[in-house]
Amino acid sequence: MTSELVALEIVAPAISGLIQGSVYGLLGLGIVLLYKSSKIFNFAQAEFGGVAAFTWVFFDTGKGFLPDLPTPLAVLVGVIAAVLVALLTERIVVRPLFNAPKITVVVATAGVLLLLIALEGFTYGSTAGIFPAVFPGVAYTGGAGIRVTDQGVAIMVTLAVLSIAAALFFSRTRIGTAIIAVSQEPTATRLVGISVERISSLTWALAGFLAGVAGILLAGTVGLAAPGSLTGLALVPAFTAAVFGGITSLPGALVGGLVIGVIEAEAQTNIPKEALPGAGKVALFLALLIVLLIKPAGLLGKET
Amino acid sequence: MTALDDAPPAHAQPPAPASPGRWLLHWSPRLIVLLVIVYVFLIRMPADQLYAPIAQDAAIYAIVGLSLNILLGYTGQLSLGHNGFYGIGAFAAAYALTVHQVPFGLTFLVAAVSGALFALVMGAVALRITGLYLALITLVFGLTLEDSLFQIAFLTNEGAGQPANRPSWLFDETTYFYFCLAFLVAALILDWLLLRSKIGRALLALKENERVAEAFGINVTMYKLLAFVISGALCGVAGALFAYRVGLVVGSGFGFNLALTFVLMTVVGGLGSRIGVVLGAVLFASLSYVLEETFLHGVNSFVFRFQDAEQYIVGFLGALGLILTLVQYPGGIGQQIKPITRWLGGKRFSLHDDEDSGPAAVEGSSVRA
Repeated sequence: MTSELVALEIVAPAISGLIQGSVYGLLGLGIVLLYKSSKIFNFAQAEFGGVAAFTWVFFDTGKGFLPDLPTPLAVLVGVIAAVLVALLTERIVVRPLFNAPKITVVVATAGVLLLLIALEGFTYGSTAGIFPAVFPGVAYTGGAGIRVTDQGVAIMVTLAVLSIAAALFFSRTRIGTAIIAVSQEPTATRLVGISVERISSLTWALAGFLAGVAGILLAGTVGLAAPGSLTGLALVPAFTAAVFGGITSLPGALVGGLVIGVIEAEAQTNIPKEALPGAGKVALFLALLIVLLIKPAGLLGKET
Repeated sequence: MTALDDAPPAHAQPPAPASPGRWLLHWSPRLIVLLVIVYVFLIRMPADQLYAPIAQDAAIYAIVGLSLNILLGYTGQLSLGHNGFYGIGAFAAAYALTVHQVPFGLTFLVAAVSGALFALVMGAVALRITGLYLALITLVFGLTLEDSLFQIAFLTNEGAGQPANRPSWLFDETTYFYFCLAFLVAALILDWLLLRSKIGRALLALKENERVAEAFGINVTMYKLLAFVISGALCGVAGALFAYRVGLVVGSGFGFNLALTFVLMTVVGGLGSRIGVVLGAVLFASLSYVLEETFLHGVNSFVFRFQDAEQYIVGFLGALGLILTLVQYPGGIGQQIKPITRWLGGKRFSLHDDEDSGPAAVEGSSVRA
């Protein structure tokens, strides 16, 4: 194998995989947060990002009667929309089902997902539209098809910044430690005077924020989006990332995201479509299955 | 002896009709209502070539609903991957018929066996992975199938779609509806027999508490696998019916939305309630058509002007129905129409659950497994 082929078939997908994987990691981070706080899987997590992406594009292009905002402001509005949707989900769906079995809540989040897709469909239409990159431009062009866009760099930087921020938030701030406390010992936490309900809202808001950032960056990277396409693109990888890293481990989700991103990209590039269509998805399914069967606690999770 | 003992029990039956006249008075209104329902929905509407495909969809969905009900309603295992079994059934039937010239009747067997085989694999996974993780892995299973297996060239006729032509005696849409209906009736009878049998009781015991069931000598492994296999086979047959309904099976359309629709219609219909599941299926199969034909269409085109609203309104209403069902009415449609079904069954009309449907029954038949 020549070095050029190695670059084309190994290095290039690895780079794009790392970039995609950062987005999976961000979404996985939200999934882990919600699992830690509510012990549920949120199937609507990727679509929170979808809501952010659509809101952002609506305001960026000034669709209909909406004002045409400058891009940074539009991004902010998009992220806020995702946070609001997450908060509403917590209030309307999750909290009334607080005492119901967790599987019920999970089915309900699937309902939320469908609802969000329908709302996007109402406002956007069913055909896929172009989603511009927030950071256009190419940061680096190497030989043999290796190319890193500004957007890609931005995604990696975002992941790094947010993961450091998350680490500091959960270890250094009162609210962060309160979230951890609620996830570990809800009754005792309530007894020391922390409102479990408020912490639950806060966790969902955080998950919505992470999903919003991830959704906008992902939609811009892929370039095309239709209602529900972000879920199709990122939900399964994000869950695989979260489970891969151990569903309760925040750093695990980030590492899992990067690993999953690379696995998917390598499989997609190196397994011919004629032999196995959708090789990336199959690789993800197998990765998830193997992790769950062999080491259900994941790479960095604790056995419970 | 207290006064309480003398009071009639809350669930007293109406006095058994003594004379033939009273018997007639008791049963004739019920019979008339039943006959009207049968006439309108099973004879009059399917006679129309325009309605018949919708009725076919409803019957096919109802079979899927029953199949899902076996897993979710009886054993309490959530499968979000029934779109996979459905697609496998459709492709298996079309592939067997068109490529291998398997006789039409036998293709249903092929579809059932293929669905059952994949379900067996899924069931084996479910032995180790339970609860939320099972929901996740079944979801990923269905999605992966849509992206990989259903795109493989030999199955999809190089991507053009696998033809599945009905034999000439089934060309007529109305006839094909009765063909689907026959399968639905068979599925209902099968389901009824299953629940009455030792298997059914074992499955229900599994749902309540696996360890207790095991302690009572129920082979948990075998019954879990069996539930998956029966469910997969039934869903495969439904897929085959779908293949002949559309005539050309293509790889797309077995995705996320279908998986969710199946779960939605079963949960909204009412888990554990046969009539509820069938009604849920009818509702979801006909919803888009009904909405298109009724005032909602006009409301949208003149007031809201949502683009492509028709395509999404089903998902929207379905999701609302699901959330409402889960949060407010865990028994689903089956629970809500209990007064009517009880009356049809010969009991007195009463809005109150006075016998077999107290809180415990609601809990038992809800998704709250």
